[in-house]
Amino acid sequence: MIQIPCPYCGLRNANEFASTGEVKPRPDVATATPAVWRAYLYDHRNPEGLVTEGWYHRAGCRKFLVVERHTQTNEIRSARPAGVAS
Amino acid sequence: MPEATTQAATTAPGDARPRLPGGAPLARSPIRQPPPTAVVGHWEVSRRHTNAALRLADLSALAKVVLRAAPESEAAGALGVPFGAARRVNVVATRPAPQLVVGSGPDEWTVLGPVDTQAEIDAALLALPGEHPRSVVDLTHGRALVRLTGAAAPAVLATICAIDLRERSTPNGKALRSLVAGVATDLVRDDVEGTCSYLLHVERSSGQYLYDTLMEAGATAGIDAAGLPEKEI
Amino acid sequence: MRPVARRATPTSGRLGPRPGEVIDRARPLRFTFDGRPYLAYEGDTIVSALLAAGESVFSRSFKYHRPRGVLSATFFDPNCTVQVGEEPNVRGAHRRVRNGDVVSAQNVWPSLRYDVKAANQAVGRFLSAGFYYKTFIKPEPLWPAYQQVLKRFAAGGVVGADDPHGYYDHRYAHVDVVVAGGGPAGIAAALGAAEAGAAVLLVEEEPHLGGHLRYGGPEALRLLGELRQELADAKGIEVLTDSVATGRYDGNWIAVHQRSVPGATERLVKVRAGALVVAAGLIERPYVFAGNDLPGVMLSTAAARLVNLYAVRPGTRAVVLSANAEGDAVAALLAAAGVEVAATLDARRAETVVAARGHGHLSSVETSQGRVVEADLLVTATGWTAPTSLLNMAGVRPTYDEAAARFVVGAEPSPGVFATGGLVGDASPEGLVAHGRAVGARAAAAAGCGKGAVLPELSPGPHPALFRSTTHGFVDYSEDVSSKDVFQAAAEGYDSPELAKRYTTATMGPSQGKLELVNFLGVLAEATGRSIGELGTTTWRPPYAPVSLGALAGRPHEPVRYSPIQPYHEAMGAKPLVAAQWIRPDHYGDPDAEVRRVREAVGLIDVTPLGKLLLVGKDTPALLNQLYVNKWSALRVGAVRYGVMCAEDGVVFDDGVCGRLGEDRYLMSTTSSGAGAVWEWVERWLQTAGRHLDVYVTPLTTAYASINVAGPASRTLLSRLVEGVDLAPEAFPYMAVREGSVAGVERCVLWRIGFTGELSYELHVPAGYGLFVWESLLDAGSDLGVGPFGIEAQRIMRLEKGHLIVGQDTDGLTQALGAGLDWLVKLDKADFVGKPELVWQANREDYDRLVALVPTDERTVPPEASQLLGIDGDIVGRITSSRHSPTLRHPICLARLAHHLATPGTVVRIHLPDGRDVPARVAETLAAYDSEGVKLRA
Repeated sequence: MIQIPCPYCGLRNANEFASTGEVKPRPDVATATPAVWRAYLYDHRNPEGLVTEGWYHRAGCRKFLVVERHTQTNEIRSARPAGVAS
Repeated sequence: MPEATTQAATTAPGDARPRLPGGAPLARSPIRQPPPTAVVGHWEVSRRHTNAALRLADLSALAKVVLRAAPESEAAGALGVPFGAARRVNVVATRPAPQLVVGSGPDEWTVLGPVDTQAEIDAALLALPGEHPRSVVDLTHGRALVRLTGAAAPAVLATICAIDLRERSTPNGKALRSLVAGVATDLVRDDVEGTCSYLLHVERSSGQYLYDTLMEAGATAGIDAAGLPEKEI
Repeated sequence: MRPVARRATPTSGRLGPRPGEVIDRARPLRFTFDGRPYLAYEGDTIVSALLAAGESVFSRSFKYHRPRGVLSATFFDPNCTVQVGEEPNVRGAHRRVRNGDVVSAQNVWPSLRYDVKAANQAVGRFLSAGFYYKTFIKPEPLWPAYQQVLKRFAAGGVVGADDPHGYYDHRYAHVDVVVAGGGPAGIAAALGAAEAGAAVLLVEEEPHLGGHLRYGGPEALRLLGELRQELADAKGIEVLTDSVATGRYDGNWIAVHQRSVPGATERLVKVRAGALVVAAGLIERPYVFAGNDLPGVMLSTAAARLVNLYAVRPGTRAVVLSANAEGDAVAALLAAAGVEVAATLDARRAETVVAARGHGHLSSVETSQGRVVEADLLVTATGWTAPTSLLNMAGVRPTYDEAAARFVVGAEPSPGVFATGGLVGDASPEGLVAHGRAVGARAAAAAGCGKGAVLPELSPGPHPALFRSTTHGFVDYSEDVSSKDVFQAAAEGYDSPELAKRYTTATMGPSQGKLELVNFLGVLAEATGRSIGELGTTTWRPPYAPVSLGALAGRPHEPVRYSPIQPYHEAMGAKPLVAAQWIRPDHYGDPDAEVRRVREAVGLIDVTPLGKLLLVGKDTPALLNQLYVNKWSALRVGAVRYGVMCAEDGVVFDDGVCGRLGEDRYLMSTTSSGAGAVWEWVERWLQTAGRHLDVYVTPLTTAYASINVAGPASRTLLSRLVEGVDLAPEAFPYMAVREGSVAGVERCVLWRIGFTGELSYELHVPAGYGLFVWESLLDAGSDLGVGPFGIEAQRIMRLEKGHLIVGQDTDGLTQALGAGLDWLVKLDKADFVGKPELVWQANREDYDRLVALVPTDERTVPPEASQLLGIDGDIVGRITSSRHSPTLRHPICLARLAHHLATPGTVVRIHLPDGRDVPARVAETLAAYDSEGVKLRA
């Protein structure tokens, strides 16, 4: 099982966390076209390489995190609280 | 608030449950109380005695109040307990003994005190210095709280919890939240007179499940049910 | 048949005491095999005891039902799987005999001796590679019949439905170093790591540490004694024997299967380690030739184990085929043990076995020199297989060393992952110990303990590449795959290992390639004219060794949740309903009567699982505006409002009410099943886009016991118990919230809302008092006809009232306007979650509508999920909720229906599961009961 280095709790098993998916900016509601909005909802990059994704430490500190993870090796490059600039 | 006193409960005919004189409200733990029971303050509690080396006691009747505030706030500074630690602090100045303050989240503290003292703790937390936004919520009725005590406690817990419980990772005074038998559980290492002891608390409705699971996990280690210890009251 | 008495004497084939034997001759045990009694000694395996008694056939092979005897005398022996009592698939060459064991052969019918299915041998050519794929394909209607036939021929033991459950334990462990394999290199690695201060878990598959030293000569036993003493003196090493590291996962998360545990059947240990040392040793490889599966043909290590560990003489007259020093040593060992060694064939000088012959047991061996030697034992020592499985699971790719004729790895193939012993190279036992010790120290350093050590040189020595003789024989014993099948697969185009493996099923049996893989590759290389290095190998996946399902499952931990009022529900015999872990009362015997009670008098329902979130902070309205589709800025203190949340795709996510308790305090309710998700949704918003908001959210779901008091008499009932709240309709109107005391319990929240459609109050009382307040309400209202009602009655009443249930009357595609919520959605708000989708939905017509349907046949209550059919028989919708209404005395339904038919008065057909169609009419309003809402507001 992979471990996620929670910036608050330290290394914890991934089953304490919920994945919240790829992190990307929410389009402006006033101007978003259906194409832009639905790309935001449904199109995900899914590369073989580094992804920036959200994890919620559900059974721990209950903080939302932004994690950089390599999809091939599961190496985690960084983990920081959501909403805080990298 | 008057000091909690222990009184014998009366039992109505055809009803095994105790009642208070005059029909006064009686509060109950989410966990079935091993007999004999008595009423302490407003709560029906077990007063079972055991000499077992490994024991599990239900402490759900204790007062539990949660403070939410920014970690850099004055209120947090006044408590002086960082996230991940649990210390005894005199939050309620008028009480003879300090309360256990648990740094239960990066911006969250859980204060545990004697039975029926939640209003005092509540007031004391609201009166902490500083003007920062904060939230004080009485969760006395919202949490189940048990204490697992004994030298075998880490081994028993290791059958249902993936946390590294070795001394160097989880020493006395450490607080954390993780999964215990699949339920998000607050775990506090709080040794009793030099014997390894853990406080575990979960949201109230999972209390019986947690209790039953711990009793089963400890069966081969000779676990026994204990009543609410006098010193916790 | 030989007399039973003779069979029961465990002396035939038993040798005198051996220095390294593991049997305790002072402790005889009794057991039976296929109904006959046998004796064993404590420490005997089932197979060693049977061999000592003169038995040599332990199973019939998988496809051809050929008689099979001992091959490797280890856990992975493909021919020694038996049933012990109720336990199937027991490895007979590994399992220790227990007094009273009832052992039987598997995969035989009617018996091990006279097996009908052995006729398969005669039709062997029909069972060759791809047989199952080719034969049982057409015609398709016969598949069920094929299944019955194939089941009878499948190998495996018998599991009875009534067999007792074992106690399967789980445990987590945290150590610095895990050492997988307790031979000389593994023991030394554990010692080296512990010397550096590391906490070590040493895992050994056999019941004793020592690996090949255990069945070696006097020098090996002396070294083993020294290592054991050092282990006993060392600190920080936990040893698990009869245990196997079955898998290595990300972050050195290692699964260890303990096969014998005091107080439990088995245990799975989930270990998080700083470093992993794999010291799995080498597995001796069988040799492929005609008759290589006859009982009496075995590996040199098997012969050595039988003689030295169990003092069993494996035969009387032997032929030894040896390509290495270990084989030569076994020839000498056999001679010393009184076995007549009739011929020794030196494979290094191109001497080999052409065929083994015999009926049911080996009787002669044909050699490459043209000799036919009478023998009842043929021992082969033709090379080694490196069980690199755990390393492969760590992403390591071992390389094939042509000169050594096996796969090898380096000592430090990957960060945090180490190897030592035979996997890395060949050396004397002392050389392996020196290497293991250094690797242990380096692994400890990788885990943060000590400074490491200098690694001595260890590399593989040369070995002849021997896979197949000049004849065809079995490559995979457990799957009955011969070298001929591999040639055939290659000829049919399945010429890569991954393809040929699947086509022939070679390496797919219980021993999972540990004995067969390299021979399989060798034969495939021969058949395709390539080298093993060019072919590559198949993928090793967890588990390394078979794990019982019980061990994987452990003790069941299914969290369940109870309301404080549960003791009452139980005492009343309520039918339990499990919903989102909660045990809830479905009904107390007669849901229709419960409905009438609420409609005519007053009833109580326990709604504790309803999600409740306390929101504290001055920016709460801004948060509510963002998360709900409607507006919240103008909510006054003491008022309650209904709200619906959508996801960003506009799909309805949850609904509930939210009340303003004080200036900056709000209490939000959610559905029972949505309680956790809404809490996370709120937290997510507050921690990301809403970080600037002054709001703290605290879940109070279980801090309150929630009781809905519903019915025309509810106000009268509450007036007897409530203090501090004016219950008059003007003072406490519909959709208002008050705080006060109930039955003497202070700090209760009361809100006046009505899911059932009646005048009703929802009480939220501090949970510890929940049962007290519930019983007080029942006591106080006995003259009013008060009683409990369950979920079913509530579902009927809300359906009569036309209130939707999110997730039942909506689905994962239902956007808010399609749920009849157009009146609620406020598209003039600048932003809220899901707004763009709802703006676009409002500009369309083509989405399904939520409608109430009334079947015209009053006796038919259509099942939920029944399809709705249009005039042409096309599907135009489905029933989402359906009940008989005890109040209206006819069936009522909610349904999702195509927009062009969703006009009141339209008649559609409901297609019932029994094939009938019944007409139903679209109703004027969703509410069939009190559609004006007069009762709610009374």
